[in-house]
Amino acid sequence: MNLEETVRVSLLGFVTQSFNVAAAKIDMNKSLIDQGIIDSFGLVEIATFIEQEFRIVVKESDMTREAFGSMNKMAHFISGRMEKSA
Amino acid sequence: MIEVRGVRCVRCILSAAFPGLTFDADGVCSVCRDTTVETRLDEAITRASKQVHELFAKRHQPYDAIVCNSGGKDSSYTLALAVQKYGLRVLSFTLDNGFLAPVAAENIRRVTDVLGVEQLTYRPSMSFFRKVIRATATLPIYREQTLTRISAGCNACISLVNTMALRIAIEKNIPCILAGFTLGQIPANAIVFRNHFRFLADSRKESLARLTEAVGEEVDAYYNLPDALLDRVESYPHNVNLLCLEELSEDAIIERVSRLGWRKPEGVDGCSSNCELNTFNNYVHERRFGFSPYELELSILIRKGLMSRTEGLAKIGDNPVERLTEFAAGLGFSPDEHRELGLTPR
Repeated sequence: MNLEETVRVSLLGFVTQSFNVAAAKIDMNKSLIDQGIIDSFGLVEIATFIEQEFRIVVKESDMTREAFGSMNKMAHFISGRMEKSA
Repeated sequence: MIEVRGVRCVRCILSAAFPGLTFDADGVCSVCRDTTVETRLDEAITRASKQVHELFAKRHQPYDAIVCNSGGKDSSYTLALAVQKYGLRVLSFTLDNGFLAPVAAENIRRVTDVLGVEQLTYRPSMSFFRKVIRATATLPIYREQTLTRISAGCNACISLVNTMALRIAIEKNIPCILAGFTLGQIPANAIVFRNHFRFLADSRKESLARLTEAVGEEVDAYYNLPDALLDRVESYPHNVNLLCLEELSEDAIIERVSRLGWRKPEGVDGCSSNCELNTFNNYVHERRFGFSPYELELSILIRKGLMSRTEGLAKIGDNPVERLTEFAAGLGFSPDEHRELGLTPR
């Protein structure tokens, strides 16, 4: 399993547990907001989880739909940032 | 008492109707069984406490923080914490939604006077606000998943408070927005967070579109901030919920704010100490979902040993339901709409 895949699995575990949703119900390429899974607090929770779990800093400039617009986008953003800081 | 459908956890008060819960053979809910939840809470509180001390280490002009003050016991105590414990220079901000209990309005004056704090009160157009509450009571403005901790009516009102507070914070260069939310009303990871309005805009888009369709274009003026204002933001203010860092029972909070002249209002339900509309919003929520929007918050207090299960049940059962028709009439519901809401028009 490469880094991005590992991150995706961890992120999926957090989302399913925190927002009471089955993994099978999550479209990995669609926004969690558009899917009705999270609200603004959900976004805040995920951003905090990312900082704590993966030891990266989420800057204001990172807070974009490009980075947070889907589970796959988040996994890509996180693994990219981790590789840069390694 | 408003009857909540189904069974409840025998340890806390969460209902079977609460989303995602399972119960064991002894009637204990999955949240009470999951001991890791408390561990995560403790970690989040420790982290937030460190953030708070870092945020408050530097002083700002003209204010260190704006405090969203509803006149209730929790926001009154948050105001006291900001001034007396953390030594902040604060601006107290109240959104008068037209349903503030008279004693709550007096409490705002008394507590801000005792603490020597400046007070700013904003009252939106009542015809607009009533339309908003009517829409939340009759239409699916918000997705169900986002209504586990709050009723739709309160969500609409608090979103208005948050937007106005952020507008003032940006206009006056105030770095922190304090509110009196407790754990359970907000997630543990949201005790301290940066209020990045544009980043969070996606999460509001769908509900605001529905609200606009129901209420009209004026929604934009109340729930959005102009680009000219947002363009000048270098760093968004932090929202901070100081009460989440305090391990205090409700009685202890009331005892402390009473020293500042705060008095308990009459005519409000057991879960509110300021807003008469809360009873109506709770009624609509329980009728639609089968559980009280306060169950999660109270269940956390019960698990932390700050409230007994009996006290929690008494709080959600304490509703002046005899006033529901009065509230519905005040909101401008038609006789047919009264009946649709399960109420008998006068």
